[in-house]
Amino acid sequence: MTSIAAAARARLDFTQLARTWELLMLLTARDVKLRYQGTVLGLLWTLAKPLFLAMVLYFALNRVLGITVADAPYHLFLLSALFPWGWFQSSIQFSAPSFANNAALLKKVYFPRFVLPLSVVTNQLVHFVLSIPILMLLLVISGRHPGPEWLLGVPLLIAIQLLLLAGAVLVVASFDVFLRDLEHLVEVLLNLWFYLTPILYPLSRVPHSVKPFLLINPMTSLIEAWRDLFLKNQLPSADIWPALVFTAVTLVAGALVFKTLEDRFEDAL
Amino acid sequence: MKTPSNDEDAIVLQGVSKRYFLQSQRAGEIKTALLHLLTFLRASRGKQPFWALKDLSLSISRGESVGVIGPNGAGKSTLLRIVARLAPPTKGKVTVRGRVSPLLELGAGFHDQVTGRDNAILNAVLLGLSRREAQERMPEIIDFSELGEFIDQPMRTYSSGMYVRLGFAVAVHVKPEILLIDEVLAVGDAEFQQKCFDHIEKLRQERVTIVLVTHDLESVKRFCDRAVLLEHGSIVTQGAPQAAVDEYLARVFPHATAGSEP
Repeated sequence: MTSIAAAARARLDFTQLARTWELLMLLTARDVKLRYQGTVLGLLWTLAKPLFLAMVLYFALNRVLGITVADAPYHLFLLSALFPWGWFQSSIQFSAPSFANNAALLKKVYFPRFVLPLSVVTNQLVHFVLSIPILMLLLVISGRHPGPEWLLGVPLLIAIQLLLLAGAVLVVASFDVFLRDLEHLVEVLLNLWFYLTPILYPLSRVPHSVKPFLLINPMTSLIEAWRDLFLKNQLPSADIWPALVFTAVTLVAGALVFKTLEDRFEDAL
Repeated sequence: MKTPSNDEDAIVLQGVSKRYFLQSQRAGEIKTALLHLLTFLRASRGKQPFWALKDLSLSISRGESVGVIGPNGAGKSTLLRIVARLAPPTKGKVTVRGRVSPLLELGAGFHDQVTGRDNAILNAVLLGLSRREAQERMPEIIDFSELGEFIDQPMRTYSSGMYVRLGFAVAVHVKPEILLIDEVLAVGDAEFQQKCFDHIEKLRQERVTIVLVTHDLESVKRFCDRAVLLEHGSIVTQGAPQAAVDEYLARVFPHATAGSEP
């Protein structure tokens, strides 16, 4: 009974899809430009921030505590996981308020609203992609050579993580409209999640009693896959299944939550 | 009024009702916040409902221009928001055929740090143009907004007049099939206002469907083929603009002689 039978909504045809895509690209380009507007170093900050974090961690964990890993120098081990994790964490954290903060726009123009949180993910993706050459450079300096596997592996893992994030940010951003505490809660949970994912330490060092918990963590399999690719030139194996399951679940959940809550946005915004 | 909808109708509302809840308090602390969320998910029970529109049916033909008048709180803006798909109806069915350009607030979504040009293109794409179409219309938009070289300056440098001029220019140049106007014509100087009116008149000649919500009864008489008088969320009367306006005035000033103008 309460369906809006607007012809435009019914025909999700190609032109509609193309426009949504263009909108996503325009928003992403604008926000990438905006982020470092007025700064001297500009996009270099994108690369500098995780590098500084890595330096601190490297100093504390490797130099002070003496943690080493078998397969690679510790700084490469760290960065090969920190860069993809950074994309994951900042996407969810920054997209959480993307509906709530755009109330003025959402109340005045109708458009495919899901592009708002998605544009945060693609914006962060741009920064992640720019960090890959840095990683390549550091690998080469340490006498390692990125192989042709990267040409398939990088787009494949990006696609998986992009879809995973698309679902997750839709869930978080939609609920955040009604409960703004969520954006703070998410920030805290992401920090916990960071330590529950083998980023600072290798999975092999995790005690057997806790290991199953880490293996259920979908980010474990994804981060391990990134690391295998970056450090060993290995394409993702079947071990990545938890990430794939999680991706499927978040996509369905994201679509359902967004579709259900979208009609109630106007009451809360 | 045609009840069965046909393809010539651009907008058809069938038995549309819209309920809002009064005192929808914002989340304060965790406990109330959680309760708040639950009530939202459970169709907000326990709050006092307010029906902004009650079982309203209305058909607007393609190319028709309709003025919506009535006192504050009559549901005029809610009606517009429902047609613009910004507010889902609580009950009833809404059919809208054609690209809608809502002039509810000029320049919604403009970003201060971005140039007028980039904002205009993004805004046009938001309103449903492709990027190429938006770029093709830029010369007309720049010309109409009289911004000249300022178009490539960040919008924080704009005066409020320049801001709304660009907003209006984009909204009317996205080739709208349905134009929804909510009291936004009271912008800019007299000259630009005249230009806006002239442009709307031009769109009207091009058979663009127009819904105009306003307190300016003169503009309803001037622009509209039909006027709809709303009160308490229902249609009181509709028909020729002059008649509807007279009816409205007769209700507001019951002692004045019917038919006379203030």
